[in-house]
Amino acid sequence: MPMYQVKPTSGSDIKIDLPTCMYKLPNIHAQGGSYNEHALQNGEVDPALQALEARQDEILRRLYELKAAVDGLAKTVTTPDADLDATTLSQGSTASVFTGTTDLDSLLGKDLGALRDIVINANPTRPPLSLLVLHGLLCQKYRVLSSVHVHSSVSSVPPQLLSCLGPRHADSYARHHFQLGFTLIWKDVPHVQMKFSTQKMCPIEGEASVARFLFRLLAAEPRDAAAATQVDGWIDTAVFQMAEGSAKERAAVLRALNSALGRGSWLVGQELSLADIVCASSVLQTGSASSAPPNVQRWLKCCENLGYFSCISPLLP
Amino acid sequence: MTKEEVKGANEAEQQAQSKKALKKQQKEAEKAAKKAEKQAKLAAEQQSTEEDDFAKDRYGVSPMVQSQQKLDRVLVRIQELTPKKADQLIWVRARIHTSRAKGKQCFLVLRQQQFNVQALVAVGDCASKQMVKFAANITKESIVDVEAMVRTVDQKIESCSQQDVELHVERIFVISQAEPRLPLQLEDAVRPEGEGDEQDGRATVNQDTKLDNRVIDLRTTTSQAIFRLQSGVCQLFRDTLTNKGFVEIQTPKIISAASEGGANVFTVSYFKTSAYLAQSPQLYKQMCICADFDKVFCVGPVFRAEDSNTHRHLTEFVGLDIEMAFNYHYHEVIDSITDTMVQIFKGLRDRFQTEIQTVNKQFPSEPFKFLEPTLRLEYKEGVAMLRAAGVEMGDEDDLSTPNEKLLGRLVKEKYDTDFYVLDKYPLSVRPFYTMPDPNNPKYSNSYDMFMRGEEILSGAQRIHDAQLLTERAQHHNIDLEKIKSYIDSFRYGAPPHAGGGIGLERVTMLYLGLHNVRQTSMFPRDPKRLTP
Repeated sequence: MPMYQVKPTSGSDIKIDLPTCMYKLPNIHAQGGSYNEHALQNGEVDPALQALEARQDEILRRLYELKAAVDGLAKTVTTPDADLDATTLSQGSTASVFTGTTDLDSLLGKDLGALRDIVINANPTRPPLSLLVLHGLLCQKYRVLSSVHVHSSVSSVPPQLLSCLGPRHADSYARHHFQLGFTLIWKDVPHVQMKFSTQKMCPIEGEASVARFLFRLLAAEPRDAAAATQVDGWIDTAVFQMAEGSAKERAAVLRALNSALGRGSWLVGQELSLADIVCASSVLQTGSASSAPPNVQRWLKCCENLGYFSCISPLLP
Repeated sequence: MTKEEVKGANEAEQQAQSKKALKKQQKEAEKAAKKAEKQAKLAAEQQSTEEDDFAKDRYGVSPMVQSQQKLDRVLVRIQELTPKKADQLIWVRARIHTSRAKGKQCFLVLRQQQFNVQALVAVGDCASKQMVKFAANITKESIVDVEAMVRTVDQKIESCSQQDVELHVERIFVISQAEPRLPLQLEDAVRPEGEGDEQDGRATVNQDTKLDNRVIDLRTTTSQAIFRLQSGVCQLFRDTLTNKGFVEIQTPKIISAASEGGANVFTVSYFKTSAYLAQSPQLYKQMCICADFDKVFCVGPVFRAEDSNTHRHLTEFVGLDIEMAFNYHYHEVIDSITDTMVQIFKGLRDRFQTEIQTVNKQFPSEPFKFLEPTLRLEYKEGVAMLRAAGVEMGDEDDLSTPNEKLLGRLVKEKYDTDFYVLDKYPLSVRPFYTMPDPNNPKYSNSYDMFMRGEEILSGAQRIHDAQLLTERAQHHNIDLEKIKSYIDSFRYGAPPHAGGGIGLERVTMLYLGLHNVRQTSMFPRDPKRLTP
């Protein structure tokens, strides 16, 4: 035995006066062997076997996790770079990404006969790219009547901003055919502003808040509070430090993104989340994509391959 | 009393009187002498001063201009008086806006349309005391010719449109004199509402006084700006539609039958029979479409015999009417009309900013906001929005005026636009010639356009099929004989078409955020006013 031995500190023959108020148990050390045999006889599993089984389960669980991670990766890796049409593929993958079922009545209140029209006021000098990405996702889930207007406070708007919600819907003459309206107004406003019901709701200010509202309509919110908090954290980082921050802050955000993306292919969890959409949009908007660190570059590539971002590519600097 | 007694009494009286009279006469004589003395003194003074008046060729009342001569003298416009013209001797023709004499100098404000400049006549090398006095006595609103030196000023003249220069007058001649008593003061007429309270003693001019003396009221900066802007609306309407390939047409105003049913028409005697004044050029516009003009518009007077004394009704107004054949869907026409309106609004915003500011000084209002392309809502949605705001109304009820205003506010709150289209009105609230909706017989292919919550245009796809038109007319219990010529015009093949008409005065009023359509009609006609 490689271990040292210790002398017993007390003699084994010490008599102890046991109190009589307690009940007695047989010494398990003295009768160890016989006890085990007794347990086996009762049809119970050997603890060694139990341990083995537990280890096996653990390995299987880790294998499943790995499989999920690989599946997630496969989605991005198997998307073609040039040959295949990214949009057709993305529709297939959306179905798997945002599968939550939603009822607009429960999300937005009962339909009174009017089109549920979401009005977004945005400044043409800073197009809210993440909202355009979300618009694309909403269009895949609902029948959305999209329209772009220019407010009289803005004198001219570049043509790519007028067509940023895609071509006009063929049925746009009949508003009641649609489940949801998405009205983008280019206007001279300091912050992105969203109005939905002017009576029941105050206007929502800020790209991040509007993005959260729209994402909720997709019912793809993480159920788990910790993940939801992480997503919120990334959104605020993207909006306040990336889009509105100084060069120094931006560099810091890029470093943070890089390290987070070193741990997984997406910012939060195993799938694309609102955090990825908002962060990627703000990285693309600030024009720091080309100078971004490698993990960020890879992640941006994945985002682009999913096809959700194709609608904003004409608007990038 | 006998006759003699009377005589005696009279004599006594006369004697007493004559004594008094003598005294009186004496006094009067003294007075007259004093007066004469004074006058002589004055005359002498005047003579002496007249002799002294070295500047008497530099002022006076010019003989009436009967085109006696054609001078080559260049007259400078007041708006061109900028520091660039400093230290130049120039001639200006303008009205005396105000004058204020102060000892040896007299300040005049010279006005030309909405521009004005300060002028100074001061005793000096080229102006005598008499000249200053003459200048001070020229009545307001008189037209004068002034030769003056342009001088820059140290302190901006806040009360004038030309703030950086003033004129030092060297010669001044009256071309046309105004009567000393003006029926209204221009400053009072442009005073913002509410400022001329009785407490501070400053007057405002009420609407009727202004309209009775329209020629003076129109000289105010506000009126000048309003009607310049109105001319802009007309110009932009014509330009935009001409660019879109529309043809301007002229339609008759004396017609034999009432075009829209029969109510609200003026009857005029027409030789041995009677005729009507056109309520709208609709029938003629539609006939032009049937005659293959494809897209037409017209600008002309429209008459409505409505006895309503509201802020927005006139009995005669200028209608801007559009009618257009379309290919597949009447929204092609809505798009054309709304785009025309947006071009007008943009043109006004970009080219008439000074006029808008001027009007705003007297009648403050928020700038007119609009969207491009124009927002289009459906009637059902409008009703739903109103219901959400607590209004109780049926699906097929027409919008009442307060509901129209409320809906305008709701739309403005959500979309921040003062101009929008409400589409798909219930069939029951529209005229018989409105095309029913293909999917829902309760609704129709008709639309209204609103500015600041007030309706400015009402239009629709018209029925272009004689058969259907007859059915609809019968459904409305309209005498088919009366509209025979209208129905007949569709018997020889008619393209699908739609259109609408707007009132120029109403558009101007609502664009500027004014509160009375009489302000935007140069010589308004309403149930109570036929003059001037």
